[in-house]
Amino acid sequence: MVSNCIQDVSFSDCESSHVGKLCLQMNCNSDCIHVLRSMVAVMTARAGMAELQSNRVAIAVDELFANIAAHAYNGKPGRVEFETWIGNSEDGCQELVFNFRDYASAGWGGNLEEIMKAGTEVHDPLSPGGLGLRLICSVADRCEHEVCADGNRWRLIFNINDREQLKGGE
Amino acid sequence: MDTSLRFERVDKDDNHVLLRVYGDVTIHTSPRLREQLKPLLNASIREIRVALDHVGFMDSSGIATLVEGLQWARQTGGHFILSGLSENVRDVFELAKLDTVFEIEDGSA
Repeated sequence: MVSNCIQDVSFSDCESSHVGKLCLQMNCNSDCIHVLRSMVAVMTARAGMAELQSNRVAIAVDELFANIAAHAYNGKPGRVEFETWIGNSEDGCQELVFNFRDYASAGWGGNLEEIMKAGTEVHDPLSPGGLGLRLICSVADRCEHEVCADGNRWRLIFNINDREQLKGGE
Repeated sequence: MDTSLRFERVDKDDNHVLLRVYGDVTIHTSPRLREQLKPLLNASIREIRVALDHVGFMDSSGIATLVEGLQWARQTGGHFILSGLSENVRDVFELAKLDTVFEIEDGSA
């Protein structure tokens, strides 16, 4: 199925990745979720992740994209660039990386580091606002956000080598 | 990936309703779950069971929708019970630290 959300796609060699880098340029709409979910399934399979971990990666990618669509673009169509690859970190560990770039007029004013520190511990279950970002930060090994002059850059990183020991202490 | 959401409602009696959900509950489908739940939350029902046996994926918007049932239960003294959670769906509740807040039953309703 060719989705009308994809504006451009490329698959390039990546120096540190044995599976290359997949790049998509999307027009932010609900079809994109299906495409992203497929990309996550492919990349987590290539990374050798178990189903539970693959689901966690899918949750994080879904939530981040939904956050961009709802809050950066207020539910209206907007350009999002998506890249994913398996690479090596500076300390030699393999990692699965997802990059998002939006071109929203307003940069996101939150602080991912604070959310990662807080985790999901301080949480009133009857006020689920912000749950999506807390889920992202609880499943990803690293979350990065940068406000650009013309939007936002987001990066989710999942360590691969220690996947038999799922994050969260199971 | 299941992109549609379907429901089966079973009114066991005037006070007990079972709602079976089929499909993925995401930001795009959770409004349909809310549509199904809302009349139940406004009715004088004592117990709402939501069977999630056939839900393979749920995101934060799905959880937020179910939190409305939790709020209803706390306000009315009713029971809002979730059952049949798959490993993936239960994992999301655990990550959100909501697995001990909801009334969750093992097995299917």
